[in-house]
Amino acid sequence: MFESSQNVLLKPTESWRETLLDSRVMELFFTVHRKIREDSDMAQDSLQCLAQLASLHGPIFPDEGSQVDYLAHFIEGLLSTINGIEIEDSEAVGISSIISNLITVFPRNVLTAIPSELFSSFVNCLTHLTCSFGRSAALEEVLDKDDMVYMEAYDKLLESWLTLVQDDKHFHKGFFTQHAVQVFNSYIQCHLAAPDGTRNLTANGVASREEEEISELQEDDRDQFSDQLASVGMLGRIAAEHCMPLLTSLLEERVTRLHGQLQRHQQQLLASPGSSTIDHKMLDDLYEDIHWLILVTGYLLADDTQGETPLIPPEIMEYSIKHSSEVDINTTLQILGSPGEKASSIPGYSRTDSVIRLLSAVLRVSEVESRAIRADLTHLLSPQMGKDIVWFLKRWAKTYLLVDEKLYDQISLPLSTAFGADTEGSQWIIGYLLQKVISNLSVWSSEQDLANDTVQLLVTLVERRERANLVIQCENWWNLAKQFASRSPPLNFLSSPVQRTLMKALVLGGFAHMDTETKQQYWTEVLQPLQQRFLRVINQENFQQMCQQEEVKQEITATLEALCGIAEATQIDNVAILFNFLMDFLNNCIGLMEVYKNTPETVNLIIEVFVEVAHKQICYLGESKAMHLYEACLTLLQVYSKNNLGRQRIDVTAEEEQYQDLLLIMELLTNLLSKEFIDFSDTDEVFRGHEPGQAAGRSVSAADVVLYGVNLILPLMSQDLLKKYSRREVFCFKLSQKDKDKNKDPLEKEEKGVRVCLLVYSLTIVFRMSSEVCQLCLEALTPLAEQCAKAQETDSPLFLATRHFLKLVFDMLVLQKHNTEMTTAAGEAFYTLVCLHQAEYSELVETLLSSQQDPIIYQRLADAFNKLTASSTPPTLDRKQKMAFLKSLEEFMANVGGLLCVK
Amino acid sequence: MDHGGPGRGGAGRGGEPGVGSVAAPPRLLDQPRPPAPPQPQGPADAAKACGTGPKFPQKNHTSPQPTMADEIDFTTGDAGASSTYPMQCSALRKNGFVVLKGRPCKIVEMSTSKTGKHGHAKVHLVGIDIFTGKKYEDICPSTHNMDVPNIKRNDYQLICIQDGYLSLLTETGEVREDLKLPEGELGKEIEGKYNAGEDVQVSVMCAMSEEYAVAIKPCK
Repeated sequence: MFESSQNVLLKPTESWRETLLDSRVMELFFTVHRKIREDSDMAQDSLQCLAQLASLHGPIFPDEGSQVDYLAHFIEGLLSTINGIEIEDSEAVGISSIISNLITVFPRNVLTAIPSELFSSFVNCLTHLTCSFGRSAALEEVLDKDDMVYMEAYDKLLESWLTLVQDDKHFHKGFFTQHAVQVFNSYIQCHLAAPDGTRNLTANGVASREEEEISELQEDDRDQFSDQLASVGMLGRIAAEHCMPLLTSLLEERVTRLHGQLQRHQQQLLASPGSSTIDHKMLDDLYEDIHWLILVTGYLLADDTQGETPLIPPEIMEYSIKHSSEVDINTTLQILGSPGEKASSIPGYSRTDSVIRLLSAVLRVSEVESRAIRADLTHLLSPQMGKDIVWFLKRWAKTYLLVDEKLYDQISLPLSTAFGADTEGSQWIIGYLLQKVISNLSVWSSEQDLANDTVQLLVTLVERRERANLVIQCENWWNLAKQFASRSPPLNFLSSPVQRTLMKALVLGGFAHMDTETKQQYWTEVLQPLQQRFLRVINQENFQQMCQQEEVKQEITATLEALCGIAEATQIDNVAILFNFLMDFLNNCIGLMEVYKNTPETVNLIIEVFVEVAHKQICYLGESKAMHLYEACLTLLQVYSKNNLGRQRIDVTAEEEQYQDLLLIMELLTNLLSKEFIDFSDTDEVFRGHEPGQAAGRSVSAADVVLYGVNLILPLMSQDLLKKYSRREVFCFKLSQKDKDKNKDPLEKEEKGVRVCLLVYSLTIVFRMSSEVCQLCLEALTPLAEQCAKAQETDSPLFLATRHFLKLVFDMLVLQKHNTEMTTAAGEAFYTLVCLHQAEYSELVETLLSSQQDPIIYQRLADAFNKLTASSTPPTLDRKQKMAFLKSLEEFMANVGGLLCVK
Repeated sequence: MDHGGPGRGGAGRGGEPGVGSVAAPPRLLDQPRPPAPPQPQGPADAAKACGTGPKFPQKNHTSPQPTMADEIDFTTGDAGASSTYPMQCSALRKNGFVVLKGRPCKIVEMSTSKTGKHGHAKVHLVGIDIFTGKKYEDICPSTHNMDVPNIKRNDYQLICIQDGYLSLLTETGEVREDLKLPEGELGKEIEGKYNAGEDVQVSVMCAMSEEYAVAIKPCK
């Protein structure tokens, strides 16, 4: 919030025209900077001024011509200031902000309208600065500086490049190619080890490198540098002619070296087993090189799209088409299909499609890894590289595998021949990827991230039906399914999230196109064992007696984990089948809840199954199915509540974890409640029409269910938790009792409403230490208050109870320090409450204001509050108004948030 | 209720025989089971009597010889079953159990790290002794096997408290007298409930040859 305010764009009114468009003003600022640039503090301020001037836009410009003049003038000034000087560390960020502002604010047609030589100089300067900042940023990393100014500047410039080249129809074709080559080369150079690159080299050319401990919290490079990589990938596409062959040769050369290194190590090990004199430096350097090359290749070849179908980037497609006449398809396929051999050993290897050749270079890395594993050299391999490989393959497969010709105007023959539908190439590569997945899962079970990326690749292979159809034709797929169903090593070594995703993939695969018999057989392999084993265990005569035996507990745990995975596989077209399958289990799970009532870890897992099912399926369910789920959930809560009422236990763990079951229940209720605002089942009118005349009479909303559910667990809270905590909620509890007495009229629902509010309120206090629960509470509160607003019964207890919340949320937002991540949830709840209780809200504001003695603070606060509600007077439950309010709230928090909660 | 939908419910059963037909086998656990076997009236009376009058000698004919307080009886139930089993580090989970420094622990923290970017994962475990509450830590390569304790929980009905020991009635009608009244709040709670004449169920947790009462719940 505060960061963006540093870079506010300058949009003055017309009255400033004479002042700001006067070229002498601009020159003055440049001159000032030239004079003071050696003083780092002042230089930052003067650059800040220039960055503001670089963002000038709006009514101040009478016409396009004046904008062009201004820009030309500015660029001249800029170039004459920075050309020929050595840029100070303190100037880097400022200068990059100026350039970034120019490129973001001025429209393309204005940019191209300035004298072409000037524009060329500007782009040259940008290229030069980008490369130079990139090198300095790399140095900063080696020296492990705290303040990464060059990294920040480099990020800004790379982002500017992305903006500049994305809209390239204003420039003639190939205008940026040479610049792109330079920036791309320098990026690669900074990330490769000597002699090709300069990684880990300090200014005087000495290599430095230390083995540090890296915790799991440290982000992977592909995420940490995703913006940089996206820009570099884009530039690589523009200069595909240069960059793709470069990446290919760099990768191929390193594959050969890696292969050689590993072979030497193997011989060494064979010659003198047990000796541990292996020098890892050489290997690690190769791994790091390959790591970066794969990341850049991944970003160059494909985009990471979420939700929509990713397309082959047009530059890549064009490039492949352009050269397709020189390409020998058979040799290309041979290169693709022989990852175990050196590309250059294949006759005619130079006449191959570059896109496929680049992919096959990564496959060659993958193959070396697989062979090293088979040769028992796993301990020498880099899990990081393994992760990069499957990450790349997943990204690649999403875009290229079974390329859908309908989505493109023109398609490259090599690409469609190699990866199109019904081609040998795609069948082969699916087999290869599957083999890789299976190998990884058995060898790398101990590397959770790698195993996770691997199952994600598997999900990618089966989540689209076209690909899944090919996958299920592989014998390996069936083996994998059988092996997983048997719960034997090595697959049962995988961590539980990985096992869940694996289950998800196996279920998704089951919806591929198969004949009835095969399908029957598949489900017999995948789902049936699960059910049979489960039923065999729980239907034993003496299950009650043996339920605590370790094998039995493990069986139950594995089943529950698998159920979570099955729920995760839910898609709109399989929900009907999966729901029926899971419902049978859910009913059994309630029985388990009884059997394992004294075993919290099992209880939690059972609730988790319900959480997942509700999370993934509730939005698709029609009324009667939703009712089934509601009923199951409520029965679960009833059993839970009965078993835990009055239970007291010693728990050695921290308080927050002790209440994990309650946390899960809150999550379950929230998931059920989500039906109120996300519901895809409306279209199913036919289905609904068949409900024999009940719909009108007893339609049950998710909110009713949640109210009822909360009512069930409330006693647990009041005895177990509430008692322990301060007077405040006891007071609140009494208050609600009073409300209840007053309202003897058995409007059950309303009474529950009060108790809900009470619960949420208590939870907010009880779990103040856990922002997660607080967030859940706030999220639950919004729809409840909305429901209350719709009912418009101002004397109902629910209505009265929500009034207490207004104060609570108001205090929380305005007076207390809170987690900023919670502002949105709190803001939404707050707005709904303000709508409900406008008078009370005004009162709260008045009270707060009248307590201020300092007139200045008073005024600031009063203004801030006025502004806060200005966009939404009178407040109504309208989405647009709500959004406006949330926006104002953000400003409000930035403006006076600190003022009030300091005390 | 969902017999009506030719589109959805019908297809689910007929069109996908694979999944639909799996649902056929009979289920025993459809309904929540009645909690535990019904408590026989006798012991409850006995419990009350025990609180006031002289001690009852009746337990001796059911359980072997658990009279000496320090003697713990392991011959019942899972004789021969190992008290731990190995598991690859990576498959452990937070809130699960593990043996650290020879003690059964609940895992409260689990994180991984590696030496250098291309190093292999190591797992850092922080566990809390499930009986003493003491904290233990360990770090090991994630390919290693760790011992996981077999944890067993049983619910018994409290008959009486004497000399700091609990008399508990097992589901099979035997009486155990070898478990101490726990110290701290839970112990006080048990005593309080017992003195007030309330019927309570005591949850007993057993791991690696140790056994303690860890929770109580009033019987209805």
